[in-house]
Amino acid sequence: MSLFIYLVLIFIASILFLKRKQIVFLFKKIKNEDDKILQEDILKNIYQLQKQNTICKTETISTRLNEDKVKVQNSINKLQKLNFVNTVDEEIHLTESGKTYALKIIRFHRLYEKFLADKTNLNEKTWHKVADEIEHKLNQEDAEKIAAQIGNPVYDPHGDPIPSSSGELPEKIGISLSEMKHNEISVVLHIEDEPHNIYENIVNKGIYKGIQIRFLGIFNNEVSFYANEKLCSLSLDEANNIQVGIPKLEKIHLGEFKKLSSLSVGEKGKIIGIAKSLRGQQRRRIMDLGIVPGTIIEAELESISGDPVAYRVRGTTIALRKNQAEKIYIEKI
Amino acid sequence: MDSKSNREKIISEANRLRWELGENLYDTLMETIYNNASEIANKAVTYSDKKSPFSFDRTLDKILTSKYFGIPIMLMMLAFVFWLTIVGANYPSSILASFLIDFLHPELKNIFLSFNIPNWLVGLLIDGGYLSCAWVVSVMLPPMAIFFPLFTLLEDFGYLPRVAFNLDAIYKKAGAHGKQALTMAMGFGCNAAGIISTRIIDSPRERLIAIITNNFSLCNGRWPTQILIATVFIGSLVPAYLAGFISALAVIFIAVLGIIMSFIVSWALTKTLLKGEISAFSLELPPYRPPRILQTLYTSLIDRTIFVLWRAIVFSFPAGLVIWLISNITIDGISLANHFINFFNPVALIFGLNGVIFLAYIIAIPANELVLPTILMLTVSHLGLNDFGAGSGVLFELESIEDTAKIFQAGGWTLLTGINLMLFSLLHNPCSTTIFTIYKETKSWKWTLVSTFLPIILGLLVTFIVTKIYYLVH
Repeated sequence: MSLFIYLVLIFIASILFLKRKQIVFLFKKIKNEDDKILQEDILKNIYQLQKQNTICKTETISTRLNEDKVKVQNSINKLQKLNFVNTVDEEIHLTESGKTYALKIIRFHRLYEKFLADKTNLNEKTWHKVADEIEHKLNQEDAEKIAAQIGNPVYDPHGDPIPSSSGELPEKIGISLSEMKHNEISVVLHIEDEPHNIYENIVNKGIYKGIQIRFLGIFNNEVSFYANEKLCSLSLDEANNIQVGIPKLEKIHLGEFKKLSSLSVGEKGKIIGIAKSLRGQQRRRIMDLGIVPGTIIEAELESISGDPVAYRVRGTTIALRKNQAEKIYIEKI
Repeated sequence: MDSKSNREKIISEANRLRWELGENLYDTLMETIYNNASEIANKAVTYSDKKSPFSFDRTLDKILTSKYFGIPIMLMMLAFVFWLTIVGANYPSSILASFLIDFLHPELKNIFLSFNIPNWLVGLLIDGGYLSCAWVVSVMLPPMAIFFPLFTLLEDFGYLPRVAFNLDAIYKKAGAHGKQALTMAMGFGCNAAGIISTRIIDSPRERLIAIITNNFSLCNGRWPTQILIATVFIGSLVPAYLAGFISALAVIFIAVLGIIMSFIVSWALTKTLLKGEISAFSLELPPYRPPRILQTLYTSLIDRTIFVLWRAIVFSFPAGLVIWLISNITIDGISLANHFINFFNPVALIFGLNGVIFLAYIIAIPANELVLPTILMLTVSHLGLNDFGAGSGVLFELESIEDTAKIFQAGGWTLLTGINLMLFSLLHNPCSTTIFTIYKETKSWKWTLVSTFLPIILGLLVTFIVTKIYYLVH
């Protein structure tokens, strides 16, 4: 009897703590879905290869997707019947309707990444993986709802433009980080999120979209630069996956990037910027409280443990946690 | 040209421009708005007194958040509020009880009977519905009428945000917001009010955590149960001169256990169910100001006390009907209540409880205040003790603790039953008023169900483990 109760309790607890996705996964028949996912992934990859002007064959796709060649060929044949691709001398090309379909999937992917960045607390390293799954499950209606919810964004959190719902997509802008000149100042516009290990290295170095770069040079295949005036270096491969440029309305800051968290009680500073890594609702909340560039801010009070600290801004006192104050840059006055 | 293609052209042109502008638009807009506003303000507003660094506010802040005085001052304030609530509520409670229960209940019954209304209907409406409402009012109203105004006064003065500020570091470790300290404290008064008060937490994830864990604050309705059971079962273990002290300690232990549980559950929730929910911390420390006493009294009485009380009454009337019905409807000569108790006794014993307690917790969902009288009534009618009680389906409580202990003994209660009842009283589903409030605040069945069943599962788990350990030792 007591064993039975044990089992029931464990069962209920596991239902409560399993994510809905995992439960759905347990009961779902995968076969059909699998086929659709592979076909959509193939279309997406052909689109990307064509953009790079690379010749696209079955092998190229099967290696890129890490899938069995026969399976990929089967799916390509099906896509051909649906008039999404046509093959000339083993070279695969997207038709107009194939391109529209591929752009739709890319739109879903990038929209969902932006959604994850703005509306959830998930780590930035997991966005791509989650979006890779979700992009196949969304339908047009859901995607538009999500887009409306996050204010119809035009860029994903990595800096890739999101295709419009009618399938338009602007040309890429900016140059590669490694092409910058000595002492040139620019801003990170885009970080390529594939391959994942390179992206992870970049994120681990504290580089994010919107960070300001002052370029030093390339020494022994190591690209050296200041990121928000902090010395940083990346391998050539990593630097090639980062595009830089100066976006419109951007204010370039010359000189030191002091963090708000470095103020001690009684000291004052003037806000020069809020790191772009403070996103979505968190960013809006902080700005709504009047913490915007140009504002004078004073550290007023430390709590018992030293975190949070209360700051005096525009006549009110607002407590911020250390991990937030670290993302607000000031100059001392 | 038709309007549709025109519209699409405009949209695609807007899109192109937004691609070109990038994402600095919102930030720049905000910055410009603030700059314009402050320019206008500088022209239009003159400041007469420049704040000196030694102003009253700052000095007080320095003391209240200092390393040495901050926590002791906070504990003293809270202890004072609780002491005043518990001691101060005794007298009005007993006055209300003697009027509503001892005087008005038999009077009403006589009046109804004199109109030749059938016996069963009078029993159902007066012994069932009226009595449980009267019970809830007399136990619930006085402590809430004292606790809420006191709490609101502290809030109005500006002290409570400083408490949140001081305690935030601990709550941050559990993935929660410092303001949860306040909603938890409010929960000690009443969980439903505590859950309404989570509106002060503006970050969605932290607010959900505060809502789900609020039930771990031992609310007003559960204190009397805790105190009585602790006196009967824990206090009797030690010599008489220590009894009061030890039983008080046991009750405080349960309350602290609740706080610890709320931290553990908060932490576990951020790691599992609420992993992806967004969190945006901010805490405003408003200036201190003299509390507006009359306004505070009015709002806390109307908004909190009466509001919560009304919901409790609405829910407890049907509960009273149910309590009376299951005790008075019989199948094969045995009441429904006794059928249930007999059936669930073996299961309940696994958790060191008994069928009476199970049934009491199910039918007394509307208000925790009803649990103890329901347990007493059910025990007496289950055993057929005629010396005690007021008839089947009629709630009662006894003046003397010795007599109460006798009922428990007759019901086969042991020390284990007492301990587990105290634990289960802390860790069980919120009352129906609270559940309803959770739904109204979250607008989500999922979170309502989680908040309802998570504590029950924890409660059953804990009582089960305690039972195993108890039998190992004995």
